[in-house]
Amino acid sequence: MKRFLLFISVIALSIGLFAACAKSTPDTGSDTSGNQQKDSQDKSGSSDKQKITVWAWDPNFNIAIMNEAASIYKKTHDNVEFEIVEMAKADVEQKLHTTLASKMTEGLPDIVLIEDYNAQKYLQSYPGSFADLTDKLNYNDFAPYKVELMTVDSKVYGIPFDSGVTGFFYRSDILAEAGYNADDLNNITWDRLIEIGKDVKAKTGKAIVSFDKADGGLMRIMLNSSGLWYFDAEGNATISNNEALKEAMETYKKILDADIIIPTSGWNEWVGAFNNGDAASVISGCWITGSVKAATDQSGKWAAAPVPRLNYAESKNASNLGGSSWYILDAAQSKDAAIDFMNEVFGSNVDFYQTILTNNGAVASYLPAIKGSAYSAADEFFGGQAVFADMGKWMNEIPSINYGLYTYEADSAIMSNLEAYLSGSKTVEDALKDAEAQLESQIQ
Amino acid sequence: MERKLKKYGLIFIAIAIILLALFMFYPVLYSFYLSLTSTKLGKTNFVWFANYKRILKDPLFWISLKNTFVILLIQVPIMLFLALILATILNDKSIKFRGFFRTALFLPAVTSLIAYTILFKMLFSYTGLLNTTLMRINLISQPIEWMSNPITAKAVLIIAMIWRWTGYNMVFYLSGMQNISEDIYEAASIDGASKIKSFFTITLPLLRPMILFTTIMSTIGTLQLFDEPMNLSQGGVTAATIGPANSLLTLSVYIYNLSFKYVPNFGYGATVAYVIVLLIGILTLVQFRVGATDDEKEARRLKKQEKLMNRRV
Repeated sequence: MKRFLLFISVIALSIGLFAACAKSTPDTGSDTSGNQQKDSQDKSGSSDKQKITVWAWDPNFNIAIMNEAASIYKKTHDNVEFEIVEMAKADVEQKLHTTLASKMTEGLPDIVLIEDYNAQKYLQSYPGSFADLTDKLNYNDFAPYKVELMTVDSKVYGIPFDSGVTGFFYRSDILAEAGYNADDLNNITWDRLIEIGKDVKAKTGKAIVSFDKADGGLMRIMLNSSGLWYFDAEGNATISNNEALKEAMETYKKILDADIIIPTSGWNEWVGAFNNGDAASVISGCWITGSVKAATDQSGKWAAAPVPRLNYAESKNASNLGGSSWYILDAAQSKDAAIDFMNEVFGSNVDFYQTILTNNGAVASYLPAIKGSAYSAADEFFGGQAVFADMGKWMNEIPSINYGLYTYEADSAIMSNLEAYLSGSKTVEDALKDAEAQLESQIQ
Repeated sequence: MERKLKKYGLIFIAIAIILLALFMFYPVLYSFYLSLTSTKLGKTNFVWFANYKRILKDPLFWISLKNTFVILLIQVPIMLFLALILATILNDKSIKFRGFFRTALFLPAVTSLIAYTILFKMLFSYTGLLNTTLMRINLISQPIEWMSNPITAKAVLIIAMIWRWTGYNMVFYLSGMQNISEDIYEAASIDGASKIKSFFTITLPLLRPMILFTTIMSTIGTLQLFDEPMNLSQGGVTAATIGPANSLLTLSVYIYNLSFKYVPNFGYGATVAYVIVLLIGILTLVQFRVGATDDEKEARRLKKQEKLMNRRV
């Protein structure tokens, strides 16, 4: 009898286990958020109560901004609830890939944040999964280059969010010590920057910039400023015949050979080098200003100029690095509510954009917002310069590019062959040719 | 009664079998099916063995294969050799604080893979502890760019892995050594064998199964190496390359990239995974053959001969 009871309990236990497994199989890999999504479906069944689920990363930036947007919207729509799920960026991408590939719709959120370089990859790999917003938003109000990157077959799919407009942020005190004022640093070329760097190093002993040679960021800045990319408009790889790319590679080598940088590896070292005053400038997207300002003791010692340009004729003193946008899932339970929410807050609320600029340093790609008060305010950290108004001006100059699907593949192909060129074992032509061969084998 | 017990037995076994089938056999078979498909722009096609053909011409696959083997051929022998030496020293009863040293050497094995990788990354960074120390004692005049050079980056990875795994393997050897009877050593020393002589003629041969086991486990572990290169390379998932010039790109990291970082092609990713399976299979077989004792080799030879004889008859 005892044995029989034991047997029954084991069976009961294993049945329970199976049931649990079967339940969780549709949503593999999700732990806590899986439950949250289930809640959202249960509740959104009734029409008066809507729940909008959002996936994003970075608690100080995207998540905080989404929370702000949600609280604004809830004031006028008390029937809408928000579930803002924070995950690491890689986790958002991984979950989105696996769920979309499995063709399940129940594990998905209503709104998801996608990095701009990845946008076409998701839109074209999973056609029909994202809501077509062409007629729902007034896209003339957004920076054209942001709209271009979320367009497939003249249909627009996302809500443009933060801009990655780039700037040349420098320590005005160090550069003044070497004899350079703001006018000397305005609209310069990369070659001129290298000359200045040598001079600064000789006079002050400081490196002009912290530099991670394994990071493709600067390469993308240089390319984007020329209006060229790793691919042409039809999506064919343009590597070996790309003049801007060739010049960008040569510029990398010139910068390294000039011995004017602090070599770093990874984000923390890179930021640390300008935070502790070893590097006299940083050239990156506007989102870096948050990290620049983290060194409060350097307040008033910084200034911003447009990003340097290449010698390539089409190259402008304006570029973009990174940035992301919001997308609404077509199969979302609260799709219409999500569209209405995004339109009302991100697509028309100028005051909201002033708040997130002040609180989070988010430079909007929503053009009417740039005329607002927060943008024209003088920034004490940057010596009284209205940096965000300047960025708004540069943003309009950014050449529009279709990033295509394969930015990461191309980046990897270039960077894995760049090392051989930098160390002198390959010519720039050979490195580009090998990179093109690698890229072509990746994207077949 | 007996029949009843048999039924219970079957039910109990069934639970394990069903679980195994669901979570082990099904994924194994399904991933093989996946490796015969290819996805492009949301459309998955059945392509037979085209992926396996594609892999032969894929430069990134060859880079990752080469990296994995360089790490395997340098790291595993050094680590196992060190583990063997440490185990021999710590097995000596005349050493004081044996327990302390054993624990200290084993401790790295309980640290999290990510934590120790990040720690090593900090140690070897441009302004890290190692560079600063070397500069202070005037061994170098300029900091070394450990993580920006393909060769030194790989060296850092190997050093980190040796630190993490040597103690782990040492424990296997220690337990193996404790199973060797003291009497044998005593007899050898009476016969006039030196410590070194008895190490080579007693310890090594009797540890053979343990050495074989650790070699196979380390080989499998290295072929599946993922956490360390992923975290050691700058920025990890967002980095353009895994280590300078892709010097830390291992096969497993490549599978991750193919599935989640690049335009997703789970089919091609599964193909690379199957190549790893194949490699592990071949290497394990080779190690079994090489690691076999002379008796086992002789037995195998006789068996073969017998078969041949039977066929002739």
